[in-house]
Amino acid sequence: MSFAIKHNNPDPALLVKVLEAANTGVVITDNLLPDNPIIYCNPAFEQLSGYSRDEIIGRNCRFLQSSDRSQQARFDIRAAIDAGENCVVQVRNYTKTGVLFHNELYLSAVKNESGEVTNFIGIQNDVSARVKAEQDLEQNYRETEQTVIDRTNMLRESEEYLSSIVETIRESLIVMDKEYKVLSVNNHFLSTFKVSINETKGRLLYELGNGQWNIPELKKMMEDILPTNNPVLDYEVEHEFPHIGRKLMLLNAHRVELEGKFKDRILLAIEDITERRNIEQRKDDFLSIASHELKTPLTTVVGYVQMMQRLMPEQASDKFRSVVGKTEMYVERLNQLLTELLDVSRIQSGNIELHKDLFDFDKMVAEAVEGIQTATPKYQISLKGKAGTQYFGDESHLTQVLTNLISNGIKYAPDADEVEVYVSRVSNFIKVSVKDFGMGIKEDERKKIFERFYRVGAIQKNFPGMGIGLYICDQIIKNHNGSFWVESELGKGSVFSFTLPVDQDGREVDHA
Amino acid sequence: MICDDDAGILEMMEMIMDEYGFDVITQANSLNVLQGLQQEKPDLLLLDIWMPLLSGDQVLKNIKADVQFNKLPVIMYSASSEGRSIAENAGADDYIDKPFDMNELEVKIRQLIV
Repeated sequence: MSFAIKHNNPDPALLVKVLEAANTGVVITDNLLPDNPIIYCNPAFEQLSGYSRDEIIGRNCRFLQSSDRSQQARFDIRAAIDAGENCVVQVRNYTKTGVLFHNELYLSAVKNESGEVTNFIGIQNDVSARVKAEQDLEQNYRETEQTVIDRTNMLRESEEYLSSIVETIRESLIVMDKEYKVLSVNNHFLSTFKVSINETKGRLLYELGNGQWNIPELKKMMEDILPTNNPVLDYEVEHEFPHIGRKLMLLNAHRVELEGKFKDRILLAIEDITERRNIEQRKDDFLSIASHELKTPLTTVVGYVQMMQRLMPEQASDKFRSVVGKTEMYVERLNQLLTELLDVSRIQSGNIELHKDLFDFDKMVAEAVEGIQTATPKYQISLKGKAGTQYFGDESHLTQVLTNLISNGIKYAPDADEVEVYVSRVSNFIKVSVKDFGMGIKEDERKKIFERFYRVGAIQKNFPGMGIGLYICDQIIKNHNGSFWVESELGKGSVFSFTLPVDQDGREVDHA
Repeated sequence: MICDDDAGILEMMEMIMDEYGFDVITQANSLNVLQGLQQEKPDLLLLDIWMPLLSGDQVLKNIKADVQFNKLPVIMYSASSEGRSIAENAGADDYIDKPFDMNELEVKIRQLIV
């Protein structure tokens, strides 16, 4: 070793031993020689760089940077060397075999007595593991951050999407917490009930608009029904609002049961059906008035036809008699249709009037069957079974039901020649079934045929009718607290059945 | 006497009742029924329920309030199924649905004017 160490160390040879033993790479350069060459390196540096001492001595430190020259660290080193100052940099270096390592370099300038920088000492540590960990951490951080951004965007998008759905629907919607405090409402609510968002958000439902939402029926639904019967659908509430008048509302309420942020929130959808009901009412009124008005001239026609029969001359031709007979028949058919229309409008407005009395149920059925049997001799109408009891109900309406079912069994089974009627007593019910051998009813049509004015598409053209017979039957059975249903097989036929509850004396049981 | 606001019905009934052997006086204005009863002293009144000006049940109420006519047999009729209970409540002696079955109507009339 030819360099001098200007310290008061007792033994420079010992210091050299220290350097040789250190596991930190140490190099010393001579700044007074051209290009600041390395004049010393310890074994740890050889280990670090993969180069042997012979390959290291005499070279400038930059050889470790290989071709990776555009590093900020390089400029920091250059500046420190030029200024003769110390510096700490992290520099990307490459071993002899070209493997990258991150070198944390402490560069220390050694000056002589005149202040001239004679040497640089470079102390070098491979911090690749640390850098890798830092980079991994940063990578993770960036990825997490990106995920958060993506998720936030997704959330915002779905929130916007949800809110545009909520704003688009033609119904009012209120979102409340479990204390019935309004969290949000949609614009439809604001415009329908003529309130502003400031008067609404954060207020209690029952306090909205000076308590105009403090509606007993609404309270009952929210507090008594919803907790045990979630969701509540099609709950009808009528209320007189101070500014907008009487409103008929159909409510759906839903309490969120999912665990999490939205648990126990209450959604209340309000459909204003005031106008729809008015229109339905006007239609029913029209139906009622129209059929009633039509009955008056019909009465006159019926009178004259009866007169024609009465005044029929002895010598009148068969053709003439047949013409008068057919006129009478079709006038009666017209009368039936008008009666049905009147019935519908009356049932719809809740005015179905039952004249209940105790009567012999089996006799009623037998008479209804006999009546149709006489009118349609082509068909065999068989009657089996007995109720064996008196029944308290409206005989003429129940006759109407039975007549309607049997007539349908004939009308919609033109190729068949029989209809079967079964009567039985099942537990505390009288059960009546009418079985036909007609075309049958498709599954999806089976519920709809009980709706008024509904006609099965396929038969519409071939069979005249208004689609009210079964609706009336259903309503009459309902008014007797009974139930009415159909079983059917396409191409084979249908069985229409109803049951009527009776007590031991044959009286109707009132479930209302 | 028959009281109905529809001229077609009155004309038809006049002809048919005549055929069945009854004398008929028609009254198209329900407000004039009491006055008509005074003048004509009929044996029976056929009374429509749904009439403008004064409904059948109102007419019957006025008749029942008049000691001179409160025993007069009255048959009410209408095309509405509520008609029967309206007639019962008003105190009519009988009721028949429109359109009439003339033979049924004849029986009802003969029962009341014997």
